[in-house]
Amino acid sequence: MSLVLQGLALGVLTGGLYALLASGLSLYFGVMRVVMVAHPAFLFLAAYLTYTVHTTLGVDPFLALPVIVPLFFGLGVAVQRLLIARLAPDNLAMMSVLLTFGIALTIEGLLGTFYTGSYKSVSMEYATRSLTIGGVHLPYDKIIAFGVAALTLAVLFAVLVKSRFGQALRATIQHREAARLVGVPTERVAGYGFGVGLATAAVGGTVLALITPFFPASHWVWIGKLMAVIVVGGLGSVAGAALAAVVLGMVEGVVLVTVDATWATMMFYVFLFLTLLVRPQGFFGGRLAHRF
Amino acid sequence: MHTVSRVLPLLLAALAIAYPWAVPNYYLVYAGALTVMYAAMSTSWNLLGGFTGYVSLGHSAFFGLGAYGTGLLVVRLGVPWAVALLVSALLVTVFAVGVGIAAVRVRGASFVIVSLALVSMMNLVVQGWRSLTGGSTGLQVPSPFPGLHRGQTHIVFFYLFLALLALALLSWWYVSRSRFGAGLRAIREDEDKAESLGVPTAAYKVAAFALSALFVALAGGLYALWFGSLDPIFVFSILIASFMVLMSLLGGVRHLYGPLLGALIVAPAGEYFLIALGETQIHLTATGLVLVLVVLFMPDGILARFTRRRAGPSIPDESAGQRLQGVTR
Amino acid sequence: MARVRKGLTIISICALALTACAKTDEPGAAQPPGQQRGPVRIGISLPLTGDFSEPGKGIQEGYQVWADRVNAKGGLLGRKVELIFRDDASDPNRVSSDYESLITQDKVDLVFGPFSSRLVIPAAKVAESYGMLFVEPAGAAAEVFEQGFKRLFYAAPAIASDHYNYLADYLTKLPPGKRPKTAAYASLDDPFAQGTAYGLRDKLAAAGVKTVVDEVYPPETTDFAPIAAKIAAAKPDVVVGGTQFEDSVGLVRALQELKVQPKLAAFSTGPTLAEFPAAVKGAAEHILSPVGWSATATFTGNQELVKRYKELFGGDANEDAANGYTVGQIVEAAVTAVKCVDPTKECQDKLAQHIGQATFDTVVGPLSFDDKGRPEQAHMIQQYVDGKIEIVLPEQAKTADLVYPKRPW
Repeated sequence: MSLVLQGLALGVLTGGLYALLASGLSLYFGVMRVVMVAHPAFLFLAAYLTYTVHTTLGVDPFLALPVIVPLFFGLGVAVQRLLIARLAPDNLAMMSVLLTFGIALTIEGLLGTFYTGSYKSVSMEYATRSLTIGGVHLPYDKIIAFGVAALTLAVLFAVLVKSRFGQALRATIQHREAARLVGVPTERVAGYGFGVGLATAAVGGTVLALITPFFPASHWVWIGKLMAVIVVGGLGSVAGAALAAVVLGMVEGVVLVTVDATWATMMFYVFLFLTLLVRPQGFFGGRLAHRF
Repeated sequence: MHTVSRVLPLLLAALAIAYPWAVPNYYLVYAGALTVMYAAMSTSWNLLGGFTGYVSLGHSAFFGLGAYGTGLLVVRLGVPWAVALLVSALLVTVFAVGVGIAAVRVRGASFVIVSLALVSMMNLVVQGWRSLTGGSTGLQVPSPFPGLHRGQTHIVFFYLFLALLALALLSWWYVSRSRFGAGLRAIREDEDKAESLGVPTAAYKVAAFALSALFVALAGGLYALWFGSLDPIFVFSILIASFMVLMSLLGGVRHLYGPLLGALIVAPAGEYFLIALGETQIHLTATGLVLVLVVLFMPDGILARFTRRRAGPSIPDESAGQRLQGVTR
Repeated sequence: MARVRKGLTIISICALALTACAKTDEPGAAQPPGQQRGPVRIGISLPLTGDFSEPGKGIQEGYQVWADRVNAKGGLLGRKVELIFRDDASDPNRVSSDYESLITQDKVDLVFGPFSSRLVIPAAKVAESYGMLFVEPAGAAAEVFEQGFKRLFYAAPAIASDHYNYLADYLTKLPPGKRPKTAAYASLDDPFAQGTAYGLRDKLAAAGVKTVVDEVYPPETTDFAPIAAKIAAAKPDVVVGGTQFEDSVGLVRALQELKVQPKLAAFSTGPTLAEFPAAVKGAAEHILSPVGWSATATFTGNQELVKRYKELFGGDANEDAANGYTVGQIVEAAVTAVKCVDPTKECQDKLAQHIGQATFDTVVGPLSFDDKGRPEQAHMIQQYVDGKIEIVLPEQAKTADLVYPKRPW
């Protein structure tokens, strides 16, 4: 029983990171109806940048954030304005997958060229210690990762709900044409939406660098998992993605300690197919997902 | 123009048949067989992608299943290789029908996600089911032609893949002229309208999905017999699937010879990149950039761009309305 | 009509091509024997990128040190040695096409093996079917030797499942009161890494040590906390990792996080690499590992390897580099003994036959092979004692006593 609790606890901590990343993915889909396969590749780009900052300057990895986050925001805007916006609208969903797939390969190749194919990791003083509550061990690095992810998500939701930009963004997600009619500059908003999405990848990458070693091809594993999360949550629903991420993270954690790693990863796909059979629009997606 | 489109296939066929004898060493026969294999696979991918516009990044799942199916039948049950090849391809087709029923319920982005998930799932299953498949140790398939030496085996498989390519091309050509093909094209243009006009869209999509899987599975089975060593993480690779997509797009998804042309460009270029730039992973970047450029600037492919008129059979540019008339008539 | 004529032209060209370009069946036959005065070219495919790139680089450096040494002594049979490397990107399709092109297009005189048991079998198939000798530095999994290869030899002391033999002996001979009762095994899903752990598992289980956890994780695993949680719940006396490098570090970190304190911890490969102690930050103390090579050993050529490696590449040589060097030493000795080095079947057969029955002095000690190409010696066991790598088993080679039970990490 304590083993299951332990798995559950670890699952929740990992689920926080999934939630942050999946909400970024959902955002892209919301504003542009684009499945951004390159999201995990950018995640690892951020992890490598953090690694460089940490090893060359010797500073705390989190000090890299003020540089990487604005950089990634700019990159996101550029990707949307220079690449995605150029695609013909008639088969956007499919073509954007291929486009971002190409971007992912490009990033992986560049990372491999500059950093070689071997594992890198950022290992902090607290990396091997953990907090023990009632027989359940919570590693400090994972607690920090969860905290940062949760904080970033909270800020993201606050921006979406409270700010004018957030309102414009949500209007664009809900109905692009109508938003444009009432004076929302949807093109620019979509660009910023991408910027915010990539900014979540920047934060996620820094956090990821703290908790696991990584190498250039690591992003493939994440593509499948995150895609499953956003389908289960409902394409385009940021809150749905975040919730589904935590739930799937917990399922993964429990299966990891009770069965094995193969079945744990398989659970993501099992849930994906179940969702498609039972409720193709996802559990929080509403009307958006069905059509796309 | 008309003559060209008639002579071109004959010319190509003659060149292809002569190829293994015209090259100076067996490595080039081997590379040629790989290229023809890719051409056959991307042509069969195009049975789905070209007609319906559904982009599948999951066809390496069928490739891998075809390969493992054939390999397992030969190794575990001692079935003759030709029988194993056909039985395994048929089983994969049945499986594809099942997957298709779930997958084509969703469109666009969700479909791509499902196809991606399929590859990862199959990889997990085959890698995890150690007692049956050998898991990470891999599966060693005996050569079907023990009497031939390696170079001769390459030549035999070159022709087998060539036959498969011909079969895939013929099927595409046949579908493009059929009522079934017209229905699929209507799905590409406007799925809802097609459905409301009485095209059985779901059944058509599943049929196209399964047909396309059949030829890819055959290619996988031949690969297993030819190559002899199967390893789950390399057979169920998203890269193989993305090559099928890249080749088709580059050549032109609306043209019979589009994927073939794409394969003739991408496969040798890939070999070249690896040998010339093989010291680093920059070859991945090269592949990625080519894909980005094709998607951005040549989404209709080379054939559409450089031939004013049609080179060989293709899907004509007509309005959705005309096409729907064609189906419902 | 024009079409028919064109077709006829093509057919006649094809017919010409048929007769003119008939390929030779044997890789070496294209070269007349008299023309072999250039360098001896050796073709090698290695994973320089991708999952296995780290050990791939070590082996490449080992090969390079060997070539450097041979050329300094005047080469093989008076000919300089030239190494041709190809990157297989850790992909078996690539590995086959690399050897295919090295043998039939570049017409190399010899081939050396690639890295990883996963890539050795496809590579060896190509070499075998062209009749080339295939001495390899890394295919230690049992399956490699069950494919009926006649020209394959593994240039290291023992195959994977025998790596822990000395440790198994030591543990089973402990007095019953001190002997561990339970053991947990976590292993990478890889024929080599798993082979090492399962070799020990089977021997300990036979001696009555209960297996309480037996976990296999896929290569892409980066989070080891759940595996450590399972081990923590079982509270084993012994923890064994069938690992490469990254996962050994990840496992040690996760075991610390989950406060697992076994009496004995053994990991394959990882702890033998120079980066290990820094990566696990002081937790290395008393960790055991099987090792086929030692930097301090005085076997033939070993000090030369260590010194020259440092001059060429800066750091310290590791076991991968030593294995690459060993391949070179074996082939060099065979070439000198049978006095031929060319890709013809006769020469390659003579080389293979010689290697099959002779004993070779190498940097990992004297090596000989059984009829399937398996080496017949054994791995030593190393342990970190007071922060230094010491050989603790076997008795006759030891530099320090084995510490058991280990200090908490």
